[in-house]
Amino acid sequence: MTALLHAELLKLRTTRTFAAIVGTAAALSLILVALGAILGAEKDPHALFTNNSITYIIVLLGAIGMTGEWRHRTITGTVLAAPDRLRLLVAKLLAYAVAGVVLSLLVTVATMLVGTLILGARGEPTLGPGDLADVLWRNLAVAAVLGPLGVCVGALVRNQIVTVVGLIAVAAVLEPAVAQVAPEVGRFGPLAGAPGGIIGGADAAGLLAPGFALAVLLTWAGVAFAAAAWRLGGRDLV
Amino acid sequence: MAPIEIRDLCKRFGRLAAVEQLSFDVEPGRVTGFLGPNGAGKSTTLRALLGLVRPSSGSATFDGLRYDELAQPAARVGAVLEDAAFHPGRSARNHLRILAATGGHPAGRVDDVLSAVGLTEAADRRVKGYSMGMRQRLALAAALLGDPQVLILDEPTNGLDPPGISWLRAVLREQADRGRAVLVSSHVLAEVAQSVDDVVVIADGQLRAHGTLEAVLGGDDGPATEVRAQDPVRLAGALERRGHPVDRDGDLLHVRGATPAQVGEVAGHERVAVLGLAPRVRSLEEAFLALTGARA
Repeated sequence: MTALLHAELLKLRTTRTFAAIVGTAAALSLILVALGAILGAEKDPHALFTNNSITYIIVLLGAIGMTGEWRHRTITGTVLAAPDRLRLLVAKLLAYAVAGVVLSLLVTVATMLVGTLILGARGEPTLGPGDLADVLWRNLAVAAVLGPLGVCVGALVRNQIVTVVGLIAVAAVLEPAVAQVAPEVGRFGPLAGAPGGIIGGADAAGLLAPGFALAVLLTWAGVAFAAAAWRLGGRDLV
Repeated sequence: MAPIEIRDLCKRFGRLAAVEQLSFDVEPGRVTGFLGPNGAGKSTTLRALLGLVRPSSGSATFDGLRYDELAQPAARVGAVLEDAAFHPGRSARNHLRILAATGGHPAGRVDDVLSAVGLTEAADRRVKGYSMGMRQRLALAAALLGDPQVLILDEPTNGLDPPGISWLRAVLREQADRGRAVLVSSHVLAEVAQSVDDVVVIADGQLRAHGTLEAVLGGDDGPATEVRAQDPVRLAGALERRGHPVDRDGDLLHVRGATPAQVGEVAGHERVAVLGLAPRVRSLEEAFLALTGARA
């Protein structure tokens, strides 16, 4: 499993797509936190540090990583090198969990540094170490689960464009719409509802409690994993 | 047990029978050509052998074990499939590093196989700039990573130029000479005729012939001889009296079921002057068309 995990992490590091997406998301996060700290009306540091896009971009990275195996027709070579498809899927999940945690850690710490420096320089209140650690674990937990969730959705759908557009549509359109008309249902959503409950923020009203939200998100990931394992394992690669 | 054993293999896709009751072995130290027209079931058979598709019935094994049952499959079996593909944004070296890590091969093998296929200088270029021939070389490099005892290649000459085909033949021969079992599929008969020891011919998913190249080229009628004689009528009569059917084309006789030595002996006995005598070997195309029922 260690060798497979190493191979999957190597795949992540050896394409420009990964670097471009991560770089863009990280830059966007830093710009947003800088603008929020300077121009924001309320300047709630908790909200500033949790709204970094890398936490959500990892779900797309997972989906792109998995569907890329079909898009570039590398799945055959991958399965030949590692014929146990379940182990292969688990290695990919672990790789994107690790990638999610590392990227979220780097970007969250960077946004905290930039935001704290700007707020401090302007004499605005900021977060203490305990609060910063609280924000950090929430971001990391969401990133650690959303990456593998993206992998599983990719293994189920396989078409890269359909998967990416579908995930964005669910996160940006479907879940917010459901949250509007039926908040009791919407807060259980996999991409916005449950992650929102984990991350919380200043105004957590209507969201699930963080621990329960994490359990809900893990359940979504578990169901997606079972479906992906079934689809990947039972299908002929012709 | 043979390095590759196919036993009563059947594969159906819905109502379509892609492979039916197919059985053959591939021996070590020999290059075996796996021949058939497009759609004959070659790729399906190879994919069943490699565990990529599940047989409907029968088995396809390496020394009695399915691909996924092998202890270190990628070190035992190397494969180049027809749709071998690579991420266009990744370099050849990185592709091989990933496959080496996935298959559990030593990292040092990457440089070895890059050198073996002549891609060392282009190793750090992104694959999207590669020609078809370079991609085929990279696919072969990936197959050789584990220094496997069995090599399987599906239509490996596709996209290769004549020097590339010649190079590939030399690589396959070298692998066989080192005791490896090599199974290479093709529908381009002329390309494999020069490089294979044994031939397996399939059509419509069924086995049509299996044997040495010479045996399959000779067909099922046993030996055949072409003889040009000064008195063809007399010689033809003598041969037919001895049970060898003869087709006459002017002074040229096509004799079935007799070797040149047998025909020469009959001609000597009948005191008929022989102007030319040679074994009749069917071309691979002739044999192939006869075996598969395909039309030229």
